[in-house]
Amino acid sequence: MKRQTFLRMAVPAVAATIFKPTIAQTDALRIGLTPVILADQAAFLARWSDYLSKRLRSPVAFVARESYQGVLDLLFGGQLEAAWLCGYPYVRHLQQLQLIAVPHYEGRPLYQAYLIRPRHQSSLQGWRDVKGKVLAYSDPLSNSGWLVAQTQLHAAGLSPRDLKKSFFAHGHRNVAEAVAARLAHAGAIDGYVWETMRQQGMAAVEQTEVVWKSELFGFPPIVARRNSRHEKIRALQAVLWAMQNEPEGLGLLKALNLTGFEAGSPLLFNSIAKMAASTEVRVT
Amino acid sequence: MLRRLPYRLQVPLGLTLGVVITALIVTIVAARISAGSARMMTLATVDSAIALLGAKARPLLVADDTWRVYVLLRNTAALLPGADKHHARAAVLDVQGKIVAASDPVRLETGRDVLRELAHAGPDAQAQQWKQRVALERADKALTLIHPVSSEDGQILGYSYVQLDGPVFAPDWAALAKPAFLGALLAVGFLAPIGWFVGNRMARPVRRIAACISQIGHVETAALISQLPIDTDPELDRIGNAVKRLLQEMEVRRQAEQRALSAERMAALGRITAAVAHEINNPLGGLLTATQTLRLHGESETTRVKTLDLIERGLQQIRATVASLLPHARIEDRPLEVGDLEDVVALVQFTATPRQVFIKSQADVSSALRVPSAAVRQAMLNLMLNAVKAAGEQGWVSVKLEGCAESVSFTVSNSGNRLTAEDLERSIAAESGNDPRGFGLWVCREIATQFAGRFEAIDSLEAHTRLMFWIPNRERDVVTAID
Repeated sequence: MKRQTFLRMAVPAVAATIFKPTIAQTDALRIGLTPVILADQAAFLARWSDYLSKRLRSPVAFVARESYQGVLDLLFGGQLEAAWLCGYPYVRHLQQLQLIAVPHYEGRPLYQAYLIRPRHQSSLQGWRDVKGKVLAYSDPLSNSGWLVAQTQLHAAGLSPRDLKKSFFAHGHRNVAEAVAARLAHAGAIDGYVWETMRQQGMAAVEQTEVVWKSELFGFPPIVARRNSRHEKIRALQAVLWAMQNEPEGLGLLKALNLTGFEAGSPLLFNSIAKMAASTEVRVT
Repeated sequence: MLRRLPYRLQVPLGLTLGVVITALIVTIVAARISAGSARMMTLATVDSAIALLGAKARPLLVADDTWRVYVLLRNTAALLPGADKHHARAAVLDVQGKIVAASDPVRLETGRDVLRELAHAGPDAQAQQWKQRVALERADKALTLIHPVSSEDGQILGYSYVQLDGPVFAPDWAALAKPAFLGALLAVGFLAPIGWFVGNRMARPVRRIAACISQIGHVETAALISQLPIDTDPELDRIGNAVKRLLQEMEVRRQAEQRALSAERMAALGRITAAVAHEINNPLGGLLTATQTLRLHGESETTRVKTLDLIERGLQQIRATVASLLPHARIEDRPLEVGDLEDVVALVQFTATPRQVFIKSQADVSSALRVPSAAVRQAMLNLMLNAVKAAGEQGWVSVKLEGCAESVSFTVSNSGNRLTAEDLERSIAAESGNDPRGFGLWVCREIATQFAGRFEAIDSLEAHTRLMFWIPNRERDVVTAID
């Protein structure tokens, strides 16, 4: 299935939201979440939104979607003021988006993409071995969960046709679960997500192992529309940067397996932009 | 083994065994019925599940969304019979028959061309166009169901696919046996004490009869008969009556035996009386004749003294005979002397003279005699009186007393009919029985036996009878006991 076809069909299918009522709150600061983090726990999101609301003196609501495209649609449709996206959609819409903050993972605004396999399946040692196998991706707009895999397959001399099958699992966590269940022989996954799952002792990670790690990329950033007029955008930026300086903020960061936020720079995502350019040329 | 147990155990165990066997049979029959109905129910459930799966998978097949198909299968396959034991699995196939996703990707891996595999599996599958639901059953009862998923305009988009292993249709013996086991347990728990009570009650009359039988000989028959149970059960009543008759017959026999014993005692007493009378009567004849002699010739000093001595020794002999009747009587007896032979001959002479029987006596004693005089005199007197009687009118009797260091013997011969050794034994046996007339021979045998001697008939070519009484020549305290 073509990636564009999948996007056209997937977007309507994920129209339902976890926090639908919050979208109607026009005065609230609405932040979209994607599978770049494991933030699908309602209690944690409530604590984080409370934290931000108190400091911004304005209600903050998180809006989660399974796909990056769904969040982008909401963001560009004016239903979100900010969104936590992956580096790949950011570079694709660099002209329409501005960086609010870039998270620090292990002290740096960087992360890696992983290729994982079921534990003890030694026949798969690298990207070349994916030939004739079933490969699970995370999302068509994910850097680590799709773009990096395309680049590496190309580098290994493989085209998507050389795979037995590939599919999108709608999230990095699902990639780990698909590989653990042997639904796929390998999976392209966000290294930060995999490590966080391992830290939390999730069973899916226990049954998988990392075959390959990529170079470092800019960590998925929190962005806003360039022309956003919401008065709290700048304040949000300041609050996020300051989280690492107070215990409550550090607690929330620890729950996210992060160490802080920084202003970041578009230059962090240059390597992703280059990969996207070359990959999109091949695809089109 | 069960029959060796008492009734109070046999009955509850028998009831328990009956319940268990019944439960077993019911379980087997129920399992057979359940196995048939379970298969129908399983197939109905799978039919519903595969149709539902097809309906749910339709939009996902259109979107080629492997992950969501997997999530759908993961959540719904658990509803299939046998899924909890990994005996059932489901998959969704694309239009080419390749697995889009399966509930168990290890056994049904993604991308596997299932329909092609089935086409190679057997002629039934080869003929299929897969345009409608197909059920393929293997020899091991395993079942594969393929249900086409079509668009609204009838275009096949893919297939829902279910595999059920043979054990799914096998009866669940554990589940079937559980209620039977619990039922049997309850029944046993209820029936065991009742069985014990019933068995105990059934066995009670038998135990009482057995107790009566075991007391036979120790308890009065009338008391035992009164202890016998009276039961309405015809079998037990027959046993009780039989034992009662047995006890009554035993009582009759006991009374008869008692009467017989009494009669025997009376007979024995009669025999003893006769023997005593015989042994006393023997010397009495001679003594009476001696008194007559004394009356007629008492003026002669010699005759008087001799006769009085004879009378005294005769009386001493009677005294010894009477004393021997007393239990554990100790008799002070003098040793036999040669003169005792003359006394005995004199006493017998009074009987022999009227019959004109000639008596010849001889003594040949080479050593001192140490045998008791009373017993030997009694034997000699008996033998000589018998010989006089046996010799007949004008016959003769010859006696010889011999004594040496080892033995003392007394031999009697007479001119009467010959008495052989067999005749003697027969006569002695008769004398010890009911015939009291000839106790002499029997008394001689008893005395000889008592003193470790012999009394026998000596066979010879001569035509007359010859009897010999022989005892060892040694001193002995004579203790006579009559039982």
